[in-house]
Amino acid sequence: MLKIHYSLDQKPADSIRDLEPPKVLNISVRNLVLKTRKGAVLAKGDQVAEHPSPGGGACHAAQGGKVKAVNYHSLTVQCTGGEETVAPVDVASMGKGSELLRALQELGVDVAPLTGSAEVLVVNGLNPEPGVSVAQQLLRDGGEELRAGLEMARKLLSPSRAILAVSKGEDVSIPGAETVGIRAKYPYSLDALVVRTVTGKEFPEHTRVINVMDLFDLGKVTLTGLPVTETFMTIDGHNYRVPVGTPVRHILEVLDLKAAPGDTIVLGGPFRGESIYSLDQGVKKEDYGMFITSSDAIPEVQDAACMNCGECVLHCPARVLPHLISRYAEYERFEEAERYGLNSCFECGLCAFNCFARRPLLQYIRFAKAQIRAKGQGTQS
Amino acid sequence: MNPPILKAMSDISLRLTVSPPPHWRSGRTIQGMMRAHLLALAPAAVMAVVMYGVRAFAVMGMAGTAAVLTEVICLLLQKRDVDIDNYSALYAGVLFAFLLPATAPWWLAVIGGALTIALGRTVFGGFGCNPVCAPLVAWAVCRFSWPGAMDIDLNLAAYMANSPVDQLMHFGVSSLGQFDYMDLFMGRGLGGLGSSQVVALAAGGLFLLAAGWIRLFIPVGFLVGVAGTAAIYWAIDPTAYADPMFHMVAGSTIFGAFFLAPDTASSPVGKIPQTMFGLIAGAMVVIIRVYGVYPDGVPFAIMVANLLSPLLERLRPKYFGVR
Repeated sequence: MLKIHYSLDQKPADSIRDLEPPKVLNISVRNLVLKTRKGAVLAKGDQVAEHPSPGGGACHAAQGGKVKAVNYHSLTVQCTGGEETVAPVDVASMGKGSELLRALQELGVDVAPLTGSAEVLVVNGLNPEPGVSVAQQLLRDGGEELRAGLEMARKLLSPSRAILAVSKGEDVSIPGAETVGIRAKYPYSLDALVVRTVTGKEFPEHTRVINVMDLFDLGKVTLTGLPVTETFMTIDGHNYRVPVGTPVRHILEVLDLKAAPGDTIVLGGPFRGESIYSLDQGVKKEDYGMFITSSDAIPEVQDAACMNCGECVLHCPARVLPHLISRYAEYERFEEAERYGLNSCFECGLCAFNCFARRPLLQYIRFAKAQIRAKGQGTQS
Repeated sequence: MNPPILKAMSDISLRLTVSPPPHWRSGRTIQGMMRAHLLALAPAAVMAVVMYGVRAFAVMGMAGTAAVLTEVICLLLQKRDVDIDNYSALYAGVLFAFLLPATAPWWLAVIGGALTIALGRTVFGGFGCNPVCAPLVAWAVCRFSWPGAMDIDLNLAAYMANSPVDQLMHFGVSSLGQFDYMDLFMGRGLGGLGSSQVVALAAGGLFLLAAGWIRLFIPVGFLVGVAGTAAIYWAIDPTAYADPMFHMVAGSTIFGAFFLAPDTASSPVGKIPQTMFGLIAGAMVVIIRVYGVYPDGVPFAIMVANLLSPLLERLRPKYFGVR
């Protein structure tokens, strides 16, 4: 039976577990620039794709092997179990500047939030969504990497203040950052709300947020000089170290989990995650959990008309009008959608969660944002 | 037919459901909401049958059936999915019946039920799109078209009790001594078939509030608006105006507060707009009862407030991060 709750405070029971390595990796390369081809032999840590955006991190092979297939969507690597790895890059001793940013980006770190300078750096240490305990686990067990990550972030941004936001009552700290407790209830873990709690301002300027998972990756890259090739995921109540590209089928087999036809399997969290369509899909770098929801647990989404009950407006932490935004997005009138607060939305999903008519409100909001972004790119080029 | 979409790695041995986030939802549906609303009306319906006999049940049944059948026809004409299983048409029809005198002729109940759907909802786009509470549209049309058949005092003259709001309008405050407020609260006063069953409606309304199907803002605003406005008049001259307690238990005040005013489509959204909406509708009830030519001000008060909804919705906080 599915138990729905908003609590973010779930203390991890044990330490991070390792997952048995998969025989095949399906690395998602959708919208990435491929740097390898079919038949290529990869060592562990070889770059397979670059991110097209200015700061986006590159993508690497989590294990050595041969590229068996490539399509627009994913790259399949048949693992050979080879031990050879790429040579580490000594980023720790590099001086501040674009060269260091470039090196980090090549190693798979998203450097967009680390570029430029900031007055306040907020480390979001709350579990991102209910049911996910990765952030608390890393805060407890990843002290060395987090310290190195924070040092690197401070070096890049040179903020005057660094603040670590954790669940209220949690006794953790990272050297160099003051600790602030936040009520551990969804949606207070979202970056925009964490920043408001610690700074008292909404969308303040000169403030950067980085979550604990990304800070851990940054720290690990700094310490080892090796690329980011694994992610930490909460699966069935435990936290696992999962190589990027591990097919979901492999996770289910190894952990003896069952999925029936019609079920929904979500990568990420239950409020904001992405549901997969095939068990062969691989885990991505930013996934922090995997959930299986049985088909009869929740009434399905409907293409229904809004009946104006106002539940979405009453629940919205961003005080926008999702019922109007979704109606405009439905009819592709995105400029009007912006007038009703589209740009203030930080996509918590509580509107669709509470919708009596079961409208896919968050989907409409993301659709409108993506269309406006695409239109902006179209007129620029 | 759409061309099949070929997805990389798609797998036919285990078809997963792909749905947009959030993947957890509250599990609340329109069907559940309307079922709860019908359940909340049930005590008042039972009390109406006890008070007026099986005729009351027949009126509710005819209005509800006419509403559902009209909804089917309208949806078929619009080539839309027939979703009467969400009970919204039945609920609207029963709401209309609650405003009728219990002796209403069959044709009035049927025409009213049909108008509730056709004129109240479908012409504006169907369920959820009506700018004015749908049963009240039908009530107003019937009230103007067949005033004799809709007049509660006239049709229920055979009963011993009197209709409190009609007594107030025709004979003034001095005639109100005949009413014991406890009797009115227990539903022992003439009025609309179900809309005068005060205690049963209050119980149903509290159930809806406790179950979270309606929010506090509109009912509380409405009751405060009625009591506050009545108190102002009463303070000016207690011999010319009825006291606030009378306005709370007489006519269909409680029915309006918990069932007509919080109608989802015609009420505004947001805390401040909803509270303001309730206050305005409540104040209008007393103003119409004091100055108007209609004894029970509730239906017209709510219709007037419905028309203000778009304006009231402008009273909202700034969006997150907007300065």
